[in-house]
Amino acid sequence: MSVKSRIDEKSVREAYARWAPVYDFSFGPIADAGRKHAVRAINRRSGSVLEVGVGTGLSLPRYGKHLKVTGIDLSTDMLKKARTRVKEKNLANVEAIVEMDASELAFADGQFDTVVAMYVMTVVPEPEKVMRELERVCAPGGQVFIVNHFAQDHGVRGRIERWMAPAARALGWHPDFKVETITGITKLDLQETQPLNPMGLFTMLRFQKPAGEEAADRQSEGKAPRSAPKISGEVEAGAPATF
Amino acid sequence: MANATGDSQPGIDRKLLEILVCPVTKGTLVYDKERGELISEKARLAYPIRDGIPIMLPEEARNLDEESSPA
Repeated sequence: MSVKSRIDEKSVREAYARWAPVYDFSFGPIADAGRKHAVRAINRRSGSVLEVGVGTGLSLPRYGKHLKVTGIDLSTDMLKKARTRVKEKNLANVEAIVEMDASELAFADGQFDTVVAMYVMTVVPEPEKVMRELERVCAPGGQVFIVNHFAQDHGVRGRIERWMAPAARALGWHPDFKVETITGITKLDLQETQPLNPMGLFTMLRFQKPAGEEAADRQSEGKAPRSAPKISGEVEAGAPATF
Repeated sequence: MANATGDSQPGIDRKLLEILVCPVTKGTLVYDKERGELISEKARLAYPIRDGIPIMLPEEARNLDEESSPA
């Protein structure tokens, strides 16, 4: 069991189906600062972008015209809204909207210059599997952006987190999700860790995939994890940092 | 302004088709225009395209070997 209190896929889908109509007006504004920040960083890049967990497509209008954006999500209801948004706003840089499971992507290896997952890692049952898929579809030399809430249970942030807990549970968050769950499993190089407003509640991680090496082939051989540090639910002590 | 999410034609963008693989086998897919499905021969699954959105989920796919209706 890699994560405490696994959330099964079905309940995530159900929660999102229930939340889709109000999602943009509830969770939306809280998380929006982080979303904006990440998209601004991505807009300084070029080429293709995969947004994993595109949801209702809140971020889609913000991507630069020079980018080619593909969005995926597990929720049919949200994707319908995303598609409507693309049509209404005439977003020609959005190339495709596809329904997929983030832990089992249906893209060939190395297809995207940039891969971004915002507020995804805490709502998926197997974050380590998702991280490996993000790595796989990222092109050599490309970058992976993760925006997420990571647990910190002291100070002002701890209080805010407790205050937000009921909403968080409804959205299927793991309130105790630690940054090491991500950094401990990836072979990508962590380039940047940036606490985001408001009050560092969310963090943006930026990873780089090494260019021009056979990083992908070991992964594509099978699902067997490389000799990676094992992830356990308990990461409190003994620092699982791997770089 | 042709993008893959347009609904004027129930089909699939060629560029998208090039980068899509079967989520289970990571093998190639063949587009069945008539049925509007993406076929993974290896997995024996046909992934539907609904409202212009390919549904790349095995649990939503049609099993090619459990075909009871006439071909």
